[in-house]
Amino acid sequence: MNFDPTPEQQELKNAVRDLASRECTPERLLAWESDPTGIDEATRRTVADLGWLGVGAPEAAGGTGGSLIDLACLVEECARGLVPRPVIGAIRAVAALADLDPANPLLTELVAGRRRLALAFDEEAARDPARHASAIAGTGVAATLSGRKAYVPDASEADLHLVAAREGQAASLVLVENREPHVRCAAVKTFGGDRQANVTYERAPLAGRIAATGGADAALRRVERRQVALALAEMVGGMDSVLAMAVAYVKEREQFGQKIALFQAVRHQIADMGTQFTAARHLAWQAITRVAAGTEQGHELATACAYVGQAFKRLCWTSHHLHGGAGFVVEHRMRFHSERAQSLCIRYTPEAPALAEVARALLD
Amino acid sequence: MDYDLSPRESAWRDEVRAFIAEHVDASLSRETREVGNEGRGPRARKFLDALRDRGWWGLSWPKEYGGLEKTAVEQWIFIDEIETAGAPMLPLTATSVAPTIMRIGSEEQKQEWLPRINNAEIDFALGYSEPEAGTDLASLRTRADLDGDEWVVSGQKMWNTMAHMATHNWIAVRTEPEAPKHKGISMMIVPMDAPGVSVQPIWVWPGLRTNALFLDNVRVPRSYLIGERGMGFYYAAMALNFERLSIGSIGMARRHFRALVDEVKSRTVDGHPLREDPWVRERLARLQVEIDAARMLGLETAVALDRGGVPAAESSMAKIYVSELTQRIADTGCEILGLNGQTHAQEASALAEGRMQWLYRIAPMLAFGGGTNEVQRDIIGFMGYGLPRK
Repeated sequence: MNFDPTPEQQELKNAVRDLASRECTPERLLAWESDPTGIDEATRRTVADLGWLGVGAPEAAGGTGGSLIDLACLVEECARGLVPRPVIGAIRAVAALADLDPANPLLTELVAGRRRLALAFDEEAARDPARHASAIAGTGVAATLSGRKAYVPDASEADLHLVAAREGQAASLVLVENREPHVRCAAVKTFGGDRQANVTYERAPLAGRIAATGGADAALRRVERRQVALALAEMVGGMDSVLAMAVAYVKEREQFGQKIALFQAVRHQIADMGTQFTAARHLAWQAITRVAAGTEQGHELATACAYVGQAFKRLCWTSHHLHGGAGFVVEHRMRFHSERAQSLCIRYTPEAPALAEVARALLD
Repeated sequence: MDYDLSPRESAWRDEVRAFIAEHVDASLSRETREVGNEGRGPRARKFLDALRDRGWWGLSWPKEYGGLEKTAVEQWIFIDEIETAGAPMLPLTATSVAPTIMRIGSEEQKQEWLPRINNAEIDFALGYSEPEAGTDLASLRTRADLDGDEWVVSGQKMWNTMAHMATHNWIAVRTEPEAPKHKGISMMIVPMDAPGVSVQPIWVWPGLRTNALFLDNVRVPRSYLIGERGMGFYYAAMALNFERLSIGSIGMARRHFRALVDEVKSRTVDGHPLREDPWVRERLARLQVEIDAARMLGLETAVALDRGGVPAAESSMAKIYVSELTQRIADTGCEILGLNGQTHAQEASALAEGRMQWLYRIAPMLAFGGGTNEVQRDIIGFMGYGLPRK
């Protein structure tokens, strides 16, 4: 048992924390929110220059060859500091491609921040990739992609999309250039800080294939599990921040002539937040480390999904409650975390399917 | 970061499991559950003797006192395995009284008491609470006044579990009536056969026995005051520290939960397997997730102890979570078993050996006992998050 990050991981976390505390000010958060891309070019440049985009990429592509645990440390701190979601999305996209195809020449461009990749997996009417309606027709250079992907994060701004589609009876993962008229992105206004779009592919030519034709089912499952693991890390970072804000506020806010922390009813809400956070943090990191090592012994990832997302949202509600009106103004950081909590939970860790998986392991 | 046992920890777990496989059978588990803390049955005594022969009463003790100085994670593994097997836990004499004497006793006191504890010649009940001093322990009134070379002790202790079996009582008494209430208390050993000591049984809800202890001008040697005069309140808090790992252990609740799951897997209701009912599946899955969460809080306490910290907040988190989760397991378990969920364990027809109704009756004690959950939440606020006290 060892719950501590390595010195290198701690160093990375500290660097992210320092930058986020300087850059992610209330004014910037509001500016990013009103920007159609959710970020500004200078910030994109800064994180690329700092090497954050390359943490999950091999050294040959200009990355640092980090593990899933290193990536989780990175996105945990990004989430804690409310680093713009497009940055986290770019880190996730590099991590996915590097894991699937470490020699892909596109990686060098992504790591340097010269090009951007969106992960287009989800469809409106299908959770199960086996039921995806997006499909590849034709073979060889004549192969094209047609279909519709829903709520694709940062799709419009991306140069390429990594798309999961049916090909015959199985799944394929293909790269497609984001160019009209074959690819059309319709932006959807959502909360959570990323810029999502519904994407229609109409006989879009393939720019590349990841994994063998029709043989990407296992690869897709692997990518999705690793993406979920990163979502758990984001949630831990967010929760830590939400709890710290609540603690600081109840120590400072006075009502009825005393700090509100002196009221037992308030103190006990902090205690329950701390308990849930501590359990959530360890369930999350247990799942992350086991997914990273490929040593899951049962249903650690499903267990973490069932617990951590719900705990994050409960912490947000409680922190909002303790902050009262002060935390309800648009400038306040609380609402950004609460939005990200639900946004992450919906996409990566919905409770009921996770519980269903735990039930299968327990009872069937 | 590593959430797996190290090779050394795995080897230790295997050693404990092998011991359990050799010494624990269904009859011992049944005896342990049936007698509760109403004394120890013959099988339990035999098991505890075997643990002592192995040197495992001294898992946490320093090596200079013949202990094994196991890490907190290793102690956590031991507690988890013993509870999971349904075997009797080490006596408080070994896990609380002995380590306290090692820490605070004079050389003479260590020479007098530790060998006798080590060879099981003596066994202690713990007397802290009183009729008017429960959560507010510092209000205790039992007095000890020095008369020549003897203390004269008078008062009443409550919830003095095992007093009717013990040879000695480890009690907190007021020796400095003029001092502020936290600073006037001392720890003292009272032999149960001393004139003026009497015990009355108190029967509590789940059918368990505890006791009231009456002390009427009981005379004990001056040297039976352990450690320094007036430091007893702090010594009692220190003794609670030694209990941090076991008080937040999920092992017992998990064992009963597994029995419930096994029962659900074997039942048919309305012509289909009970395990196929969506509400049964969701509730059991939710409890399984929470059991894993509770396990993490226990581990957090152990890891923090091994880092050299005093994990007051962490162990309070584990205590609250385990006690409240045990109530939910018991409640859900009784409901899932349907009408049979109210059946006494002695009925042959009781499903899951009647464990759920037993757990339902014992669970409230876990939340108010061992420091109420309100006090635990205060500790988390103060110690864990630095909230102000005034």
